[in-house]
Amino acid sequence: MYIFHNIVDAISDAAFIWRQEMRQVFRDEGVLIFFIIVPLVYPLLYSWIYNNEVVHDVPVVVVDDNNSSLSRQFTRMADASADVKVLCHAADIDEAKSLVSRQLAKGIYYIPSDFDSNIYGMRQTAISVYCDMSLMLTYQAIYQTAVSVTQTMGAGIQVSRTQPVTKRDAEISVQPLVVSEVPIFNPAGGYGSSVLLAVLILILQQTLVLGIGLSAGTARENNRYHELIPIDRHYQGIFRIIGGKFFCYFMIYAVMGAYLTMVVPRIFSFPQLARWQDLLSLMLPYVLACIFFGMIVSCMVRYRENVMLLMVFVSLPLLFLTGVSWPQQSIPPFWRWVSWLFPSTFGVRAYIRLQSMGGTLNDVDIEYCSLWIQTLFYFVVCCIVYRHQILLSRDHALERLERIGRKIEVVEQIRKRKRITPPKTQVP
Amino acid sequence: MGHIIDKPQMDRARIKSTEEATTPLHIGRGRRLFSIILRELRILSKSPIYVFCMVVFPIAVLLFFTSMLSQGMPEQLPIGLVDADNTSTTRALSHRLEAFQSTKVVERYATVSEARHAIQRGEIYGFLYFPKGTTEELLAARQPKISYFYSLSAKLPGSLTMKDLKVISTLGSAAVGQATLRARGATDAQIQAMLQPIAVDLHMVANPWSNYNVYLSTVFVPGIIMLFIFLITPYSIGTELKFGRSKEWIMMADGNMLVAMLGKFLPHAIIWLAIFFSYEYYIYGVLHLPHEGGAWAIIRLGLMAVFSSMGFGIFAFGLLPSLRMSMSICSLWAVLSLSMAGSAFPVMAMDGPLQSLSWLFPLRHYFMVYQITVFNGFPLLESWFHFAALAAFMLLPWPVIGKIKNAMLNYVYIP
Repeated sequence: MYIFHNIVDAISDAAFIWRQEMRQVFRDEGVLIFFIIVPLVYPLLYSWIYNNEVVHDVPVVVVDDNNSSLSRQFTRMADASADVKVLCHAADIDEAKSLVSRQLAKGIYYIPSDFDSNIYGMRQTAISVYCDMSLMLTYQAIYQTAVSVTQTMGAGIQVSRTQPVTKRDAEISVQPLVVSEVPIFNPAGGYGSSVLLAVLILILQQTLVLGIGLSAGTARENNRYHELIPIDRHYQGIFRIIGGKFFCYFMIYAVMGAYLTMVVPRIFSFPQLARWQDLLSLMLPYVLACIFFGMIVSCMVRYRENVMLLMVFVSLPLLFLTGVSWPQQSIPPFWRWVSWLFPSTFGVRAYIRLQSMGGTLNDVDIEYCSLWIQTLFYFVVCCIVYRHQILLSRDHALERLERIGRKIEVVEQIRKRKRITPPKTQVP
Repeated sequence: MGHIIDKPQMDRARIKSTEEATTPLHIGRGRRLFSIILRELRILSKSPIYVFCMVVFPIAVLLFFTSMLSQGMPEQLPIGLVDADNTSTTRALSHRLEAFQSTKVVERYATVSEARHAIQRGEIYGFLYFPKGTTEELLAARQPKISYFYSLSAKLPGSLTMKDLKVISTLGSAAVGQATLRARGATDAQIQAMLQPIAVDLHMVANPWSNYNVYLSTVFVPGIIMLFIFLITPYSIGTELKFGRSKEWIMMADGNMLVAMLGKFLPHAIIWLAIFFSYEYYIYGVLHLPHEGGAWAIIRLGLMAVFSSMGFGIFAFGLLPSLRMSMSICSLWAVLSLSMAGSAFPVMAMDGPLQSLSWLFPLRHYFMVYQITVFNGFPLLESWFHFAALAAFMLLPWPVIGKIKNAMLNYVYIP
């Protein structure tokens, strides 16, 4: 009976703490921003930014010193390609350079004067490509267009040079071996499709940690003695406190997590190859690990604003540690160890493989297990940290009680002394 | 009776004496400024959060990016091989893959589906596939087909893998053609002209190695330093209110906001400039990242970056004179500006409204001025618009300064 009673008590305490926490989340505009508004709006904003996925029609200047039908064919074909747009012709390299310096063009195609005579003389000819290297994507667009146009033109020239018996014979002599290029995942090479999925998962972790930190900071500041754990009948026992708070965050992030991982990719038609069962079983340990991680961070926060100073700037390094823009094999060992501390590292890797490569849970077993290990580890640390906080607030309370007790004693003594020699009241 | 009357008089006298101690009426603006600077230095040195956010974290971020990208380009990316033909010809071709710097064959798979599975497990980024009978068909001139598969789920490793695999398969095709042509007695020059009639002569201006450190460390590190300036500036004003020191601060300046602001932010500016210039010295002086524009362009850019970010931070607080709101806005803006700078995904590829919106982000203008005047070494005039925009960010505090004064004197901090 006693145990049963205890359990009921614990549950009702946890429910009370859950309600307090929930109320605080919806009352505090700072927490509301990071729990609700940012996860709702930021993904839409980022998706909008990266929605065009690839760079089209990068402006280039052509300097045509040859001005033959072949050089004009090159210019036409480059202009007709998807990635490059011929802005204008320039008289010489200097004029073209001034257009690049004014940001009107991102590169120069220079066709030398012996361009066509070399081709007719069966010599190799060349086109010079000058790229403004300040942007990787425009450089790639300009260079790859030049390569593909010269290859197409070259194949035509090769065919015209052979004296084949049949057309098929000509084809084979030009290209004895056919090479086919198969981009299997994210075939268009879209920037959004590769980076945004990582950003979504990272937003989940960052907003969760920021929100929990802010909420804890507010709780501390609202408390008369700046304690995280108030002295209250309900706030007794680590598991009640952690359980109550945990369920509050978990309920909010069950909704937000579903929105981030399922709805946003659907709205902007980013890759969505994951099965929902796999996604669900991956997101469960991820959200759990993030919540416990956030609760540990929140214990270190003395003032609510400090959590912003701590957590906002790490977003970008964390994105790099996931391996989405810099390959994870090339990350130096020290930073690799650091990356293991954060749930986002494994969460992002696993999510991308499920969602963009259509993997199953078996394919991400290392990440999946790591997330569970992190969950367990952070849960234990969270319990230790909260126990410390509870003891701290109890100690402080006892200290205060003692001080008050001493004060009462002093007052009583004074009163006793006064009773012995009562002050003479002035009679007007 | 007497002592009852005396008490308020004593209080008044005490208040007066503390007031005189902090703001004696006879001293000039220079002295006031100096005392506010001293007060600010005391605040900065007492609170560890300033030391961390102004010195420790920026340096950590600088070291993070520069050490992470010190290779310049990723090397030895794992790729696979599916050789169903397994003849000396295909083996010779796959041996050539070993010579590439950016990729490395780590595993041979029996079937395509096994190799695809390995990509899904994140073990390799791509693979080369020789179907059965490739050599036989090649010898019989039946034009066999080989394929290379790669994943662009991660863009950089994917495109590097693609590049290497493309080169190796084109070489394979060329090697066969070369043998045929040589047998017919063609010279090397003729063979070259025959196999590749038009070559592309690439000039990668200013960054011939396409070094990624140049792309990322030059924008993301200043972006994060600017993020800290964005956050610390309103934090510093807002905590005056939070810890009930705001009236004291304004009174020390005798209600002159120019003195109050200068006194508060001069120490900040000096620290930020020191951090920014050491960052610039490290990447241009020690790591020798390209800087065609020279030292003066670099120094000018550093000055503009620090002061425009501080201007933005003060403006954000003036607009919403509450610590939490102004810091939330600043942090969201700063994080967004890392994307809106357009250094990774170019602004010109974004939608029209976003292109205009990018003007509201100091980091965007920073990036433009950087790439025009420092990276490419073009004259400052070419970046006049972005330079003027940075100057405009510096002037932003002007319209809201009255509002900040009002907030400092009349608002009460509510947790």
